[in-house]
Amino acid sequence: MAMASSKKSRATKKVAFYTGLICLLTVSLFPFFIMLMTSFKSPKEAVATNPTLLPQHWTFKHYVDMFNPDIFPYLSYFKNSLTVALTAASLAVVIGIFGAYALSKLKFMGRTTINASFYTVYMFSGILLVVPLFKIISGLGLYDTKTAIIITMIVQTLPTAIFMLKSYFDTIPDDLEEAAMIDGLNRVQIIFYIVIPLSISGIISVFVYSFMVAWNDYLFASIFLSDSANFTLPIGLNALFSTPDYVWGRMMAASLVTALPVVIMYAVSEHFIKGNMTEGGVKG
Amino acid sequence: MKTIKNTKSDFKFTKIKRPKSDIKLAMALLFPSIFLVLLLVAYPMLSNIQISFFDQPVNPRLSATFVGLKNYTDILMDAEFFKSLGVTLLYMILAVSGSTALGLGVAIFFNRPFKFRKIARSLIILSYVTPSISLVFAWKYMFNNGYGVVNYLGGDVLHLFDKAPLWFDNPVSSFVLVVLFAIWRYFPYAFISFLAILQTIDSSLYEAAEIDGASAWDKFKIVTVPAIMPVLLTVVTLRSIWLFYMFTDVYLLTNKVNILGIYLYETAFAFNDLGKAASISVILFMILSIVIILARKRVKF
Repeated sequence: MAMASSKKSRATKKVAFYTGLICLLTVSLFPFFIMLMTSFKSPKEAVATNPTLLPQHWTFKHYVDMFNPDIFPYLSYFKNSLTVALTAASLAVVIGIFGAYALSKLKFMGRTTINASFYTVYMFSGILLVVPLFKIISGLGLYDTKTAIIITMIVQTLPTAIFMLKSYFDTIPDDLEEAAMIDGLNRVQIIFYIVIPLSISGIISVFVYSFMVAWNDYLFASIFLSDSANFTLPIGLNALFSTPDYVWGRMMAASLVTALPVVIMYAVSEHFIKGNMTEGGVKG
Repeated sequence: MKTIKNTKSDFKFTKIKRPKSDIKLAMALLFPSIFLVLLLVAYPMLSNIQISFFDQPVNPRLSATFVGLKNYTDILMDAEFFKSLGVTLLYMILAVSGSTALGLGVAIFFNRPFKFRKIARSLIILSYVTPSISLVFAWKYMFNNGYGVVNYLGGDVLHLFDKAPLWFDNPVSSFVLVVLFAIWRYFPYAFISFLAILQTIDSSLYEAAEIDGASAWDKFKIVTVPAIMPVLLTVVTLRSIWLFYMFTDVYLLTNKVNILGIYLYETAFAFNDLGKAASISVILFMILSIVIILARKRVKF
């Protein structure tokens, strides 16, 4: 009798747990579901006053139109975003590796100070720097160039990149480096032959983090870019949204395709990296 | 004894061969990082102070006029600034506590073995990973006054309200939505942080507490809270700072919630008053510095 009831209560618990899980996922994913379904609805259906969850007539037109440059400049924005994010993330990783190696493995005066000042920079939000950065970028003649966004994004992600990499480098035992030195490798060779191969998962997660920050940036793009030929996705899509002739289905298709690169990169990096996301964090 | 002594002196020998200080190489390796941070973070921050004393036109060719403390007195006399500060603090407090509490709750919920755990975890994180711009369109569409699914479900189906709120056209409902958006978008960050630390807690601690007759709440208080405390402090501090300076999410969602980030941005680029915007930056920077100094005493970042 007692066993039967405990079995029953375990089953009830299980049902309650999975019900809770489904509720949680439903609320959390509902906007994504709406996005996906709307992207398959006709323009008329998308603005119906009694909306249906699933499209009544499935259409793939929005995904075709989206990539037609005569209708929608999506490809140009996508290309700009890709250039900016790939360049910024690659450079942040390279500069970050050198910086993090120095802070992790080399002994010199001022190491703690430099470390501490990078910590402080980590907490600076871009919004505090918009006025002087606007002046500096204009002064350097970089206004309305992708270079302006790229260098700003490198600096915005660099402190985090250095910390994440430094925490990986710190786990590499000094003995390993000493052995390599005895074998005649110099410091630079050690970075390339020992440190980088041993921290490859950390390097990938730093790359993904920097890529995401650059891919998501709206603030600096809106300040530094004025010609729509240079627009990245966030500013380009928002500009399209402000025009009266946007189509909801197309906007939703564009939103989903915009999210795709970062979601895929995240999923791939998650696959072989343990708990990376908490280190970077998304800044506002 | 002898062998130990030998290895020790060998060790010393290799140590001596290395230069005592690697300053030259360190500086070479750190040069790009330091250069970029000085040029694009430290110098701009100081430059803010300088600009804040001037009436600075947006066009760089026009010269600036020195106005002393006028920009600061203007801000401190501006009721809009204090209103904005209040709205920002309320936004920050609600969104930080909401996202942290929800993240912790979901982490505790996930802290057990179950089927599909890995995929469920990845799905939960989706709102955190997706770019703001994509999420913003979905929310604007869902909360549209005319054909939004929320008004349809809440009004026509569930009859929660007779007259639908004007959502993004009304300051109060906009504020509510902006807070909900932040909680929904940022709770996964707290969730992953807490889940990672919860998994390190030794389950025998819970068993011991259970034997002592502790209730679920007691166990949470005695075992869970002390274990997660460092992570809790870090999550709260970092999220508070980031939300205090929030710009993008709110700016893209609505023009009805004037948080400080938007107040600063519009002063600079809508009203073209760079001097005043710089002095807002300086004031916010001082607030940030005080918070960081206080926080660093207790939180390890």
